[in-house]
Amino acid sequence: MLGAGALGKIAFDRGESLNAMWFVIAALCCYLVTYRLYSAFLAARLLALDDTRATPSERKDDGRDFVPTNKWVLFGHHFAAIAGPGPLVGPTLAAQFGYLPGTLWLIAGAAFAGCVQDFIILFCSIRRDGKSIGQMAREEVSKRSGLIAQLAVLAILVILLGVVALVVVNALKSSPWATFTLAMTIPIALLVGVYLRFVRPGRVLEGSLMGVALILFVVVAGQWVADSPSWARVFTLGGVPLAFALIAYAFAASALPVWLLLAPRDYLSAFIKAGAIFALAGGILFVRPHVLMPPLTRFIDGSGPVFAGKIFPFCFITIACGAISGFHSLISSGTTPKMILRESHARFIGYGAMLLESFVGVMAMVAACAMTPGVYFAINSPPSIVGATPEAAATTISGWGFPLTAPAMAGLAHAVGEQTLWNRAGGAPSLAVGMAQIFSNTIGGERLLSIWYHFAIMFEALFILTVLDAGTRVGRFMVQELGGRVWKPFARTGWMPSVLLSSAIIVGMWGYFLYQGVVDPLGGINSLWPLFGISNQLLAAVALVVATTILLKMGRTRWIWVTLLPMTWLVIITMTASYQKIFDANPRIGFLAYANALAAQVAAGKIPAAKLVDTQRLIFNQRLDAAVTAVLALMVIVLIVEALVQWYAILSSRRAPGLHESPYVQTQWAQEYSGATQGDD
Amino acid sequence: MQYATKTIRRFARRFWRGVREWCGDAAYERYVRSSAARGDRCQRLTAEEFYVQQLNRRYSRPNRCC
Repeated sequence: MLGAGALGKIAFDRGESLNAMWFVIAALCCYLVTYRLYSAFLAARLLALDDTRATPSERKDDGRDFVPTNKWVLFGHHFAAIAGPGPLVGPTLAAQFGYLPGTLWLIAGAAFAGCVQDFIILFCSIRRDGKSIGQMAREEVSKRSGLIAQLAVLAILVILLGVVALVVVNALKSSPWATFTLAMTIPIALLVGVYLRFVRPGRVLEGSLMGVALILFVVVAGQWVADSPSWARVFTLGGVPLAFALIAYAFAASALPVWLLLAPRDYLSAFIKAGAIFALAGGILFVRPHVLMPPLTRFIDGSGPVFAGKIFPFCFITIACGAISGFHSLISSGTTPKMILRESHARFIGYGAMLLESFVGVMAMVAACAMTPGVYFAINSPPSIVGATPEAAATTISGWGFPLTAPAMAGLAHAVGEQTLWNRAGGAPSLAVGMAQIFSNTIGGERLLSIWYHFAIMFEALFILTVLDAGTRVGRFMVQELGGRVWKPFARTGWMPSVLLSSAIIVGMWGYFLYQGVVDPLGGINSLWPLFGISNQLLAAVALVVATTILLKMGRTRWIWVTLLPMTWLVIITMTASYQKIFDANPRIGFLAYANALAAQVAAGKIPAAKLVDTQRLIFNQRLDAAVTAVLALMVIVLIVEALVQWYAILSSRRAPGLHESPYVQTQWAQEYSGATQGDD
Repeated sequence: MQYATKTIRRFARRFWRGVREWCGDAAYERYVRSSAARGDRCQRLTAEEFYVQQLNRRYSRPNRCC
């Protein structure tokens, strides 16, 4: 009742502004209801979870990969693995449509699609000794589906790394404070790495706490760097140098021993991520900010300055991870099923962790919508849309009905310790402003606004960099595996020439997308974030196809709508978005229309000779993006056809539904065993 | 009062243990216990060897999401 009332309030209230508590109440109540009812239905009726069956962690316990783990600890592991920058950046970008569509999709999408996918894939993998989504697709659907799953993983990895790197570049450019802080995390991570390897092997807690303390110190020290003209000059970098610095960093992190840089940075990132998310939740509850963004803006018609495209399908493509993320199926079918203690824990960990991720998305939406809408659009709009000078941009944004003045923006930039906040598309800076306002209203007031802003930027950039280096390393292994099929020595993961070449190939692939985003006059995010959303939702469609096939083989035809409906919805939005991104006549939406418009300008001699090479490259990039989108859409079509053939064969009893489950083994654990160390309980 | 103190201490102990397991601090202790329980005949890894091997395994597959 309370949740329905709160949802009604945020959906129908048209007053001056709405208190953020309504969002929190609506989200929490919806989560409680769906967890209590829908996930219980899935656990009992659809999957029939069986606690008498021994899980892989019991049968194969080796203390390394297969480790029986307490459900609360595993929930923390699983949540830390699935929660990346997506649920923060996606809702922030989708706030251009207003707070309502994004919030509704975050809640409903998670409850009926994202959580369902994570939970069912986790269950399927537990019953198959922790097999990956690619292996399950190959065994349960068809060999071709397995290949599509592998290609989809590689595609999403490359596009994901390119786009999240672009978010970091846009957050750091022309900001000596933020650049210094992030740069200093590298020597700090190296220090922690050496400590954990040689001084106190494996003492992660003490090493990480030492590193976190040093990072908090450099956040404050960044102000001294920004205030020093000579040092500020060193750390004031443009987009292109920052892009190359990130590419060089990821290459090094991929090729260096993992204990030296990648792992310690991941530990630091995990602690800071957990702390910042709890702090944001606490701040929202304490400050109870008013949401200033209207429920719907004029940009639902597709003319948005942050990214172009109508509310359908682009709101869903943009939100992506906060509602449903295909990438989660890699975690649900990788590490977690090998550590789960009992089958019944899959409900809490698979369904519950995704609900929490959705809540992070709702908090990001609140933080983005709690700032003045004019400021939000000023930070996220490229100059080609709003105008190159602050005065022109302020006039344009005010003309949209969101009052803004150039001096107000200059004052805000000064208050957060930045030279400028104009043209910082990507979501990170606007989210950081929103978080800083909430944090400073909790502790420190205006005086600490700049510290909080740079803490928020550091928090976002740090764990984006963790995704970047960990993703580059995984991509390197994929490239080595693929190369090994052509020339066997290439697959040797310890052979240095192969390590260096494969690292160069993977950073070259995502680095190209990053570079094209940095030099794109429309801001890069406009092209790349939808591409990322499409590839992410494609992988979710793959996961749901696998889940549907397995449910059919289990004889759950009556309940097949549980996965079939979200899968159908994902296919519809993925295909519609792909079609529009390729063929739409509006150059801001359609890749080909933009390429053709530029080609026409070149043919008409309207492009100055000095910009001719850049324009030709831009034309090529748009055509490349169109080709990538077309390949992704084609993979969806092939996958659906494969699945339909398989489903028809099962339903018409032409093929025996051969399940590839591990045989039943009865658990030897007592019912009350919780994975706790003896004597601790 | 005594009951409350006991409950708080038990909760704090559980919380501390959970944090250590979550961040990987207790991974080696787990490994030692596990291989001992299974009567593993192979040579037991040292803390340093286990730490490096564990990291190499963890970061060779997707373990961080978007």
